[in-house]
Amino acid sequence: MSTTSTTPTLATAPDTARLRTLLRRPAARKVLALAVAGLVLAPFAHAAWGSGGWPHALSVSLDEPLRSAGDWIVDNRDSHWLFLYFFGHISNVIIGAVHLVYVVLLALGWAGVTAGAALVAWRAAGVRAAVTAVASFAVCGLLDMWVPTMRTLALMAVAVAASVLVGALLGLAAGLSDRTFRVLRPVLDTMQALPAFAYLLPVVLVFGIGVAPAVLATVVYAAPPMARLTALGLRSTDPGVMEAVESLGATGWQRLVTARLPMARKQLLLGLNQTIMMALSMAVIASVIGADGLGDRVYQALSTVDVGAALAAGIPIVLLAIVLDRTTSGGSDGTPVRRGHPAVGWALAAITAAGFLLTRSHDWPRGWTVAVTEPVNRAKDWMVDHLYSGIPGIGGTADWAAHYTGWVLDPLRDGLQALPWWGAVLLVAALAWAIGTWRTTLTAVLSLSAIGVLGRWGSAMDTLSQVIAAVAVTLVIGFAVAVAVARSRRTERLLRPVLDVFQTMPQFVYLIPVVALFGVGRAPAAAAAVVYALPAVIRIAGEGLRQADPRAMESSTSMGATGRQQLLQVQFPLARNELLLAVNQAVVLVLSVVIIGALVGGGGLGYEVVFGLARGDLATGLVAGASIACLGLMLDRVTQPTKGARDAR
Amino acid sequence: MSGTDTVDRTPDAEPSRTADSKPARAEATSAERASAAGQAGNLAAGQAGNLAAGQAGNLAAGQAGNPAAEPARKPGGEPARTAPATAADRSPEPGRAPEPGGTPAPVFSVRNLWKVFGHRPDRVPGSDLAELTPEELREKAGCTVAVRDVSFDVRPGEVFVVMGLSGSGKSTLVRCLTRLIEPTSGSIAIDGEDVRSMDKNALRELRRHRAAMVFQHFGLLPHRTVLDNVAYGLEIQGMAKAERRARAAEMVDKVGLAGMEARRPGQLSGGQQQRVGLARALAADPEVLLFDEPFSALDPLIRRDMQEEVVRLHRDEGRTMVFITHDLSEALRIGDRIALMRGGRVVQCGTPEEIVGSPADDYVRDFVQDVPREQVLTVRRAMRPATLGEARGDTGPTVTAGTTVAEAIDVVARDGKPARVLDGDRCVGIVDFKCLLNVVAGLDGPQRGGRLEKAAA
Repeated sequence: MSTTSTTPTLATAPDTARLRTLLRRPAARKVLALAVAGLVLAPFAHAAWGSGGWPHALSVSLDEPLRSAGDWIVDNRDSHWLFLYFFGHISNVIIGAVHLVYVVLLALGWAGVTAGAALVAWRAAGVRAAVTAVASFAVCGLLDMWVPTMRTLALMAVAVAASVLVGALLGLAAGLSDRTFRVLRPVLDTMQALPAFAYLLPVVLVFGIGVAPAVLATVVYAAPPMARLTALGLRSTDPGVMEAVESLGATGWQRLVTARLPMARKQLLLGLNQTIMMALSMAVIASVIGADGLGDRVYQALSTVDVGAALAAGIPIVLLAIVLDRTTSGGSDGTPVRRGHPAVGWALAAITAAGFLLTRSHDWPRGWTVAVTEPVNRAKDWMVDHLYSGIPGIGGTADWAAHYTGWVLDPLRDGLQALPWWGAVLLVAALAWAIGTWRTTLTAVLSLSAIGVLGRWGSAMDTLSQVIAAVAVTLVIGFAVAVAVARSRRTERLLRPVLDVFQTMPQFVYLIPVVALFGVGRAPAAAAAVVYALPAVIRIAGEGLRQADPRAMESSTSMGATGRQQLLQVQFPLARNELLLAVNQAVVLVLSVVIIGALVGGGGLGYEVVFGLARGDLATGLVAGASIACLGLMLDRVTQPTKGARDAR
Repeated sequence: MSGTDTVDRTPDAEPSRTADSKPARAEATSAERASAAGQAGNLAAGQAGNLAAGQAGNLAAGQAGNPAAEPARKPGGEPARTAPATAADRSPEPGRAPEPGGTPAPVFSVRNLWKVFGHRPDRVPGSDLAELTPEELREKAGCTVAVRDVSFDVRPGEVFVVMGLSGSGKSTLVRCLTRLIEPTSGSIAIDGEDVRSMDKNALRELRRHRAAMVFQHFGLLPHRTVLDNVAYGLEIQGMAKAERRARAAEMVDKVGLAGMEARRPGQLSGGQQQRVGLARALAADPEVLLFDEPFSALDPLIRRDMQEEVVRLHRDEGRTMVFITHDLSEALRIGDRIALMRGGRVVQCGTPEEIVGSPADDYVRDFVQDVPREQVLTVRRAMRPATLGEARGDTGPTVTAGTTVAEAIDVVARDGKPARVLDGDRCVGIVDFKCLLNVVAGLDGPQRGGRLEKAAA
């Protein structure tokens, strides 16, 4: 900041010219204006409130009122009419529905469920999806995870049904009314940028710990994509077709049912797919607030660093994700579904019926399981002994983790925490304004200030340091791979299936392998975050680079540009929006995992949420959750160029 | 001759036709002629006229009707487009009773129509703001005038072409007719019924049954098959599935897409897609077909095909059509009358011959200057008065008054002698090499002189 502001005072004649060219760039002008404002305001801020972390005078402690509110809710949960006649009913309906689905799944028996899933997958996405479904459910059973899988599935089924209903209704409203769309869109955009953890605490406050709040948190987390895509789908219908339909005398209802909805089919299916994937992701995380099933197994195993048990529960989660994704993305890309011979369908139906009738024991047969926990744990122990440290030349994973923590994270955290609070605010403002509009800047600054006001400045800076470091690593690796992907078709073909699988996996399961490799602490959380965010970054950046206007590429080739020149001077500038979007996604995704990283010793805001939940100290957890939301909002807005810029245009 | 000049739906109208010995007037409609016949005292023909007026362009009537309809529409393979249709031209003709309000009741009657886009548009029409240039208006009031004080009538059975360059307001105008775009002021009547005062239901009925539209970009539903797209309008009307599919199949057949019923729009070429659009519009059996630049997005060859398709449909069914285009040759090829628009205004409205032969202003003149005049203008325009001897004589070639100059050149060149122009049995003039060449060279008509004077001034 000070360097930019000193330039004009020291400027000599040639410097003035350079400055003038610099000032012609709008971003530079904005930053300069901010720097001047900072120079004027900072001394006052320093004089009034000091220059350390966020000043106490400017913060409001919500702990007491929240604590008393929490106590009041706990005291009145069984007596107050609001709980008895409203929240109580909601809770009962949800619990009843989940239980009903669970009982039905158990009654179908393992054979019935497997064949039924195969039938649905075959119908929706073809033979390959059906085979995947059968194999996946078989593995779930083999790992002795049948019952937890069914519990997760039951919870998810209810959550997805509710999410789709809520999302579709909201999406319809936003798709048909401009005003609703204008109100809803920023809300939905923001909700998608917030980490899952931020949604947990408010529902816990009202509903306590259990299945009902888990389902509700899942619905809140998973409904936005459905609403968003429904609205977008309805809005993007060809106006020419709509006009033609109107010219034929269609009523509003006929226009919706016969033209708009069918034409939005692709987006609706994509919305369904995304909702299901996010519901799975959240249903697993919601184990923290009492959702049982696979997530709970992973959660318990991680808390005792029992990698074997975590893996045994993690594999079914991954398989479930793959099956659900393959099944629900089958029809959305427009290619016809390959179902093979119709007899396949009848066979599957027959097996379903047979399985339902014949299986005596509805549970997975006892003898058919493979115990993976022990061997995995032994392998992990071997790794601890042999790979963690002391490999000549390259050290070991624990060494790397220690170096990363000691040399990167600690200095960064200390630096951020030592940064004067007004400096941080100015920095965020400068970044946000340089990339986005005054609107995003304002939101970012207000969000950051809100964290300070809530009194979570220190832990927020801790989390922020982890996010920044992990984002930097993600972007370096991600852009490098993206360049490779954009340059070579073969790399792209090789990477695509890998990225597909990685993108479908819930955040939670990334924690398992990193714990095995790096132990606990901030480094494994960062590793998980990087791995989680990489596929999206590679995909977005790679597509952006590849779709750079071929004519521009051709003309630069014809002028004799080297590959490097072409990359730096043509592809990067042309793909600017995609690259910025990739940065935005990297920030959002990394934050979401860094927060869950608290479960493996990540510390920061996420730890306060977990701590609050574990101790029943909802006030701490709620304030931390709100801070997470603010941090997410700030990071999203700071890196959000395209939408703001496009809207301004 | 006289047998070919009318499009009568019933044989009862026959006597009146024989009495009417005027030349072929293709653009005159059955209703018009039948009402004339009714005035002449023929009750049966009068009834036929009522019937025809009620169902002008009705498919069933068109198909079941007198085969004589066809030659009337198309003498010599081209849609006949001969005498001007104004009442003034018609009055001296023998055999026709002088009619009060001689034109038939128009299908569409548009008066002082305005469409202004932008902020508070209703203050523009009729005020001082309307006098401003488009730029000034946008600056001052934030408005854009798309249609400016437009009035015209569309007569039953004619092809009324609205032509203009892009931005001239023609597409907005045609959308105002069924209020797909709400007009700012003025009046629109369909068969005398005020369109602007219609409520939602009446308007929907109008769109469902009376006026169907064909769009430049087809507007087909991508998720439906060809057959279901064609049946879509009927489905919206609530017709039962079997019935609407049967009817749609008939329409698909009619536009020449038989065998492609099960395809989707994405699998069709542009021309085929537009045929689907046409079939969809026809399926509802509307009184009027509205075309909004239907062939602009097509290749030239396919465009020609489609134009012929429309000409054929019009010849077969006599349906009233309003046709929007920016293509002058298209307008001349299919239009009975053409309204030329510029900047939201109608600068000239008349038959192709009037537009080409007597441009109203320099803009129109520039517009039509490249038109091959000999193919549009008729010998009526080229001929010189016959001397007594020439008029009496019955040797040498003859041409009818509706013949185009190009055809007359062919006749005169073959025989090497001047040809007599016959209106019925009467010789009304003579065309020789000189007068025909004058037309080709653009040296004919009083306008030419006027223009030269103007240029000199």
